[in-house]
Amino acid sequence: MARHLNTIPGRLVLMLLLIHALLMPPLFYVISSTVERTMKDSFVDNVRNLAQIFVDRFERLGPDAAEQRIVAFLDSAILSGQGRYAAIDIGGRTLASSVMSDQDTGLFREDFAFGEHDDNVYYLSLPVSGLTAPAVLKLGYDESPIHEDFSAVRRTLIYVLTAYLLLTLFVAGLMSSTIVRPLRWLQKESRAISSGDVDRELKPDSRLEEISALADDLETMRRNLVGINERLKKEIAEREQAEAERLQLEQQVHHHQRLRSLGTLAGGVAHEFNNVLLPMVLYLELALEDLPADSPVAENLLRVQDLANRAKGLSQQILTFSRHDSDARLVETDLAPVVEEAVTMIRALQSATVDLRAEINAGCSPVKCIPEQIKQLLVNLCNNASRALAENTGHISVSLDEVEASEQLASKYPQLAARSYVVIEVRDTGGGMDAETMERIFEPFFTTQEVGKGTGLGLSVVHGIVKRHQGEIVVESESGKGTSFRIFLPSAGRDEQTG
Amino acid sequence: MAKILIVDDEEDVRISLKQVLERAGHEVSVAKSGTEGLEMMKQEAADLVITDVIMPGIDGIATARQIREKYRNTRIIVMSGGGKTAPEPYEPDAIKTRSYLASASGAGADSTLTKPFDRNEILRMVQKLLDEP
Repeated sequence: MARHLNTIPGRLVLMLLLIHALLMPPLFYVISSTVERTMKDSFVDNVRNLAQIFVDRFERLGPDAAEQRIVAFLDSAILSGQGRYAAIDIGGRTLASSVMSDQDTGLFREDFAFGEHDDNVYYLSLPVSGLTAPAVLKLGYDESPIHEDFSAVRRTLIYVLTAYLLLTLFVAGLMSSTIVRPLRWLQKESRAISSGDVDRELKPDSRLEEISALADDLETMRRNLVGINERLKKEIAEREQAEAERLQLEQQVHHHQRLRSLGTLAGGVAHEFNNVLLPMVLYLELALEDLPADSPVAENLLRVQDLANRAKGLSQQILTFSRHDSDARLVETDLAPVVEEAVTMIRALQSATVDLRAEINAGCSPVKCIPEQIKQLLVNLCNNASRALAENTGHISVSLDEVEASEQLASKYPQLAARSYVVIEVRDTGGGMDAETMERIFEPFFTTQEVGKGTGLGLSVVHGIVKRHQGEIVVESESGKGTSFRIFLPSAGRDEQTG
Repeated sequence: MAKILIVDDEEDVRISLKQVLERAGHEVSVAKSGTEGLEMMKQEAADLVITDVIMPGIDGIATARQIREKYRNTRIIVMSGGGKTAPEPYEPDAIKTRSYLASASGAGADSTLTKPFDRNEILRMVQKLLDEP
């Protein structure tokens, strides 16, 4: 209840009820008493006029009037309407009407105002002259019709006032709803806005000036909020992106530095090994020459020679990783035939169960490269991919395409310049790798294979080759979904023309 | 039949290479350093010098340059383990770093070899250089 009183309609109704409670009783009293007084006055006037007519008629009868005639006059006073009592005192003798309901002349008590006595009859007396002796006419008229009229008037008054009160309340209700409805609407919309649905326009269906002013202000506030919100969102997104870029760049620098120092280290080791390997290879050849072909020693020495050759291969791979300035010169080459050739070679080398798909765009710009190294790179990546597939029934796809590194791409991969690249992609649907593995894949001798399988140099060599070509590698991997290596090589064609 | 000088700080490189070349019929002398090699050249100029790059004292590039200046007809082969370059500090990803090969060619070397190589490779190269006019 108290809750309802704290609403606009509640307050309005309460206020009206209070006002009416204060105003209505005096109003009722004033109206009803005025009407009553008027009615009483007119009753008394009428009765007195009527009585005067009878007085006149008695006077006109003259002194010789028969008693019978007098009684007939008195009877007509009763019979003509509301008369209750009619009698005349003539010189001490009383003549009463014969048709009075009560013949007791002792009932007469003169009223000087309406309802002076509660006998419900208005009694009055008037002197009559011109008869045989001085006479007094006494008449009594029924008061009750007037009392009934009073009640009717009061009832009507109560009806009218009640109807008026109800009408007032109804109108107040209507009025308050024109205020409350748009307010409720505004409240609902504001609530929706505050819960995040900020795109609602606040435009209530109301012509009330205060409401529309409030709505306008709220709408302005909403627009400002939307603006602030959007600006904040944008700022946050920008900061997040900047932070992500910075982090990525930092990681790249870190990664790069690690690979660099590893390269220096590995290069130094390979160098020392090569100085050991050279005399080993030469001594072996000399020794083998000195032995007869069927010597059992020769057999073992040939095995040592194989091992030396393997060591030589390893050290060359390490050097490819660590030394990006190899002897061979970069030659402007169309990669499509190079990639095709490599794919054919890889298909021949790999087991028939591996599904290797190639998608080569023959229209790519040429790239300054060492074709043999590009082939090596593809072989290494495909080897890796097929190992990732293991027993899975997935596939490897090799693609060659040219892309214009947009700002978007460059912002995702800050190592890329905004220029045109020829992209070689090797993608597998294998098991993918976790972030920790991904961080280390290019390190020499890092391998996820069992000891003895794989040298851990394949991707180091890929890295070396890509660096040698001033390219970039983008690796993306999802555990369980596969891995994609994208090699971005700067395309030669366009640059040559502009530069 | 030619006079060949081998300059390398690794004893086994010197010995093995000497044997290989002698068996091919060449007259071979060896030096442990660039300085020693240059001394020996003063006494008797070789037809062909095979020098390592990274050596204590005068490195192979400087040795090659001096020999080229003084002995116009001497053929020079520069060989290296390939892991380091001279004279610039080694930088793995700086493509502009001139490789030892480029440095050697600049210093006047006729050819270069990356260690390890086998007997045929060195003999073929030696023969080719000696046969050239």
